[in-house]
Amino acid sequence: MIVSYLFPILLAWVAFSGSVMAGESKELTLAVYSVPKEAYERTIIPAFQRSWKQRTGQEVRIRTSYGASGAQARAIIGGFDADVAALSLEGDLDQIAKAGLISHDWRTGPHKGMVSASVVALGVREGNPKGIKVWEDLARPGVEVLYPNPKTSGGAMWDVIAIYGAGLKLAEQQAGAGKKPSAESAEIVAAGLLKGIQKNVKVMDKSGRESVTTFERGVGDVIVTYENELLPRIKSHRPYEIIVPNETVWIENPAALIDRHVDRHHVRDVAEAFVSFLHGEEAQAAFAELGFRPIGQPASQASTRTSLPLPNRLFTIADLGGWDTISAKLFGPRGAWTTIVEDLARGK
Amino acid sequence: MTTHTLLQLALRSAAVGYVSLLILLPLAAIAHQSFVGGIDHFIQDISTPQASSALALTLEAAIITTIINALFGTLSAIVLVRYEFPGRWFLNALVDLPFAIPTLVTGLMIAAIYGPTSILGLWLQQGGVTVLYNQPGIVLAMLFVTMPFTIRSLQPVLMELEREQEEAAFTLGASPWTTFWKVTVPSVLPGLLTGVFLTFVRALGEFGSIVIVAGNIPMKTQVASVYVYGEIESYNPQGATSVSVFILLISFLVLVLLERLTRPPGERMPRWFRWSNRPLAMIRPSEIG
Repeated sequence: MIVSYLFPILLAWVAFSGSVMAGESKELTLAVYSVPKEAYERTIIPAFQRSWKQRTGQEVRIRTSYGASGAQARAIIGGFDADVAALSLEGDLDQIAKAGLISHDWRTGPHKGMVSASVVALGVREGNPKGIKVWEDLARPGVEVLYPNPKTSGGAMWDVIAIYGAGLKLAEQQAGAGKKPSAESAEIVAAGLLKGIQKNVKVMDKSGRESVTTFERGVGDVIVTYENELLPRIKSHRPYEIIVPNETVWIENPAALIDRHVDRHHVRDVAEAFVSFLHGEEAQAAFAELGFRPIGQPASQASTRTSLPLPNRLFTIADLGGWDTISAKLFGPRGAWTTIVEDLARGK
Repeated sequence: MTTHTLLQLALRSAAVGYVSLLILLPLAAIAHQSFVGGIDHFIQDISTPQASSALALTLEAAIITTIINALFGTLSAIVLVRYEFPGRWFLNALVDLPFAIPTLVTGLMIAAIYGPTSILGLWLQQGGVTVLYNQPGIVLAMLFVTMPFTIRSLQPVLMELEREQEEAAFTLGASPWTTFWKVTVPSVLPGLLTGVFLTFVRALGEFGSIVIVAGNIPMKTQVASVYVYGEIESYNPQGATSVSVFILLISFLVLVLLERLTRPPGERMPRWFRWSNRPLAMIRPSEIG
């Protein structure tokens, strides 16, 4: 008989404690891609909790899930009720917006909604035994290259875009000073470079992290990946070196609050504060500690906060026509990368 | 209605509900999703160059795996049941290990053994054999995860097999080889078939270990499950479900075939199978070498 009373009591307790929690403390759920985990766990989240307490006197509990950017986006679309998403690719955030969960224009915020930045770089074995200096070296016979599969890894999309964009820059150089090659001939040069490098790729892991693990297991001569993946590892004395090519792509990672969830949880104020905190000095320093570059337009970037030199011929996604254009051009069913992979498999 | 029949009804609906909820419902959902764009879409999805070559590679590797595991699994099962030797219990315990190890760990183990930093890996590399990031790596991973199936489905049948039948055949003048083929194999065939089919369908779907050891180059070393994963990750759930459903269809057909082939004697069974249940006395003298 006692058992039958247990359930209503439990229910009342849950309801009661819920209302108490809403009054005195707030809870924020974050969905973050896996790379900046350390920055969030060690610095950003505790620092934000302190500053929120100072400003409002409220305790804010933060629950965080880390995972691949695309997987996080799909989880949120599928019902994971995160209040803030900090992802690797703009496209993933756009998917959430397309599903109707983000109703504001997240690109209107400071830095167009971007919170961290990096470039695509190369990792080589200690002493650079294969003498890798420029992108063309990666296409030489006998050089084994690693990058993950662009179908599964946002990082690999950046890598392939970096190679393709570098090829376009290369075409400009080949045309000579002052002259501009036609779009078509530049694309042929770019596709040629991409094909030469893709030919040397023996392993395509499913994520950037796994690719690094494979490289550390002794596979491959060169790994193409985020600069911020390589820097912390080199700092901790892993036996490899980093090369930042002159032509590379400027990477930016966005963060935004998810309107439908923050309104349902009544945490819009905290979520807004958290996103703007990510743009602040403290969070940026935490990202820099992990090897990220400071956020902002690369051209106007005064390298005061970082000792990292800016590559000469840096380009952005906007220079390549924006995400939609470049991803269709490279990864679509008739895209350059897709065609190259299929041609290589057929021995063409 | 008596309590007894009520209880029976409750039990039956519980079983039906349990199986439906866990298996039938998700299956229906994925089948619906893949055919929602029409059959044309389905065929288009599975016949793109990357999808079709991933499917072909998967089938090929699964068939090779099944053949190898059928042969060595049968051998191992016979040794484990029939022969007494030191450490047999240990070997027997080892057999189940592939089920207990997460497949991701399996992949890591294979990568460690055959990787360029290991002695075996280096030696193979010098010999011009690439196991890792190549087709042999895929088969190796499939072999590992499906190893217990043949052995574990053969063992109980072998234990129940009456030695007298084999002894009778032997005393009637049959050579050991004939006895093996004409008496032992037919009796254990249902068990063997179960093992073989389970091996095959399990190999088709393997992901965790293969994604680490295969290299995953589209149209070269990318298996179907890795292709499906890629399509999900690049926001093409339609393409992903179509290929998944195709694999499911193959598995389903194989399991239906298995079900029909391993029915107890007396029920409908193909002729070539039925003769194994003849009494020993009916074996013609010409069959005895």
